[in-house]
Amino acid sequence: MTRILVVAETALRELVRRRTVLIILLLFPLAFYLSRRGDHLGQSIRFVCLGLGWALSTAALFAGSAARGIEPRLRLSGYGSLHLVLGRLLALWTVGVLLSAPYFLLILVDQHDVRYGAIALVMALTVLVAVPFGLLLSAVLPRELEGTLVLLTVVGLQMVMDPASTATRALPFWFSREIGTYAIDHTDGGYLTRGLVQGLSFAVALTLLVAVAAAVRLRQRRHLRFA
Amino acid sequence: MNHNAWLAALTGELRRHGVGPDLTGHVVAEAATHLAKSGESPLRVFGPPDAYARAVADSLGGPDVRPPRRHPGPVRLAARGITKRYRGRTVLDRVDLTVRAGEIAAVVGANGAGKSTFLRICAGLLSPDAGTVAVHGTLGYCPQDGGTAEFLNPDEHFVLIGAGRGLGRAAARRAGRAGAAALEWTPPPRTQARHLSGGTRQKLNLVLARLGEPDVLLLDEPYQGFDRGTYLDFWHEVWRWRDAGKAVVVVTHLLNQLDRVDTVLDLTASRERDA
Repeated sequence: MTRILVVAETALRELVRRRTVLIILLLFPLAFYLSRRGDHLGQSIRFVCLGLGWALSTAALFAGSAARGIEPRLRLSGYGSLHLVLGRLLALWTVGVLLSAPYFLLILVDQHDVRYGAIALVMALTVLVAVPFGLLLSAVLPRELEGTLVLLTVVGLQMVMDPASTATRALPFWFSREIGTYAIDHTDGGYLTRGLVQGLSFAVALTLLVAVAAAVRLRQRRHLRFA
Repeated sequence: MNHNAWLAALTGELRRHGVGPDLTGHVVAEAATHLAKSGESPLRVFGPPDAYARAVADSLGGPDVRPPRRHPGPVRLAARGITKRYRGRTVLDRVDLTVRAGEIAAVVGANGAGKSTFLRICAGLLSPDAGTVAVHGTLGYCPQDGGTAEFLNPDEHFVLIGAGRGLGRAAARRAGRAGAAALEWTPPPRTQARHLSGGTRQKLNLVLARLGEPDVLLLDEPYQGFDRGTYLDFWHEVWRWRDAGKAVVVVTHLLNQLDRVDTVLDLTASRERDA
């Protein structure tokens, strides 16, 4: 547990010291929110959640890429790959909660006649999904530019595709549209259930995939034997 | 330069010139007595510390070249038949290396001979096409570059690596600072690694490899960017680690220290054999 906490602490320190990145991270979802604030209040909630997901995935992608250089050394120093993955997830999930909180407060103040609990759920799921999604991209695409382009494609598709089509369910943030509709348009509980199932499934699957990718990349090679 | 600073610099320079600790203490004590009595400037009396230390070392007949340890301990690292090919080109061909406790092995060879590849295979960071590596004990690895986190300061590095080795925060900081002091470096408390010079970052890299006192040390040209004094300090540290029973493997292309190591693995020979 100590090792996980030390990794989480150092990952947080590294992120906090990138002040410009932090400011952009904080303002990025606001731009999404304001873009639809004038014409469609409900849509601005959906957009801010998508903006949060995009910002967090990008932060996770870059944090994961930056850690690639030191992780083999940490592995040799006695860390297991799970220590490294869980520590980094913990740090980024914490950042996600801190990033989401002011936007939830903004919605509380600015929006009325919506289901606030459901909006909180969308934000929580967004944090849970976005972080392992970004880390997974950094694990399978070693160059940041490639990861960024994939991220751009996924979020772009998420914004332009019809949420009612079956194909959009394969996108990681589909749940935000579904639960968002439940929260804003007061639809039946089916939207909530479908969104919750999809969001939780993606959160679990992506987290497992990140752990597997790290275990493979940082595995002890078969030719090396410790006596 | 005041007396104390000059004497401290002289102590370091004498060590770098291979003067043993007893004689260093004696020379420094004599110089301190003389300066205290005369009240004169040390630069005026003795000149720069480096020049005075060189003169003392020369008067002793050159640096203290220690013979290799006569009774090395048990095998700590055994690499057997290591073969590695990149895109059909054989980089390493059936390379063997055995290093015992209390031994230094130098891995030499021309650029592209596979020195770093061999070390990465020994560290388990890269898989060979054939061959095995057996390590008896714990492993420390100092990469040629990288291996540090841009936005962390040295103390945070010590805590991070130390936690992996099972050291608490205070113990990790103490061990890191002691390792840095041996390289005549005082880590600045708040300077992040990205703001350190190339040579200083390599010192940090080296100190991190040593944290937790691993039994086997794999050092991949760790002296990149070191000034002459630090380079000499580095080799003194390597000899000290050997004397403490560690097995050390150093990748180097600087051949002037090879007479002071126990084993030389020339990878150029491996390539030539393949050709």
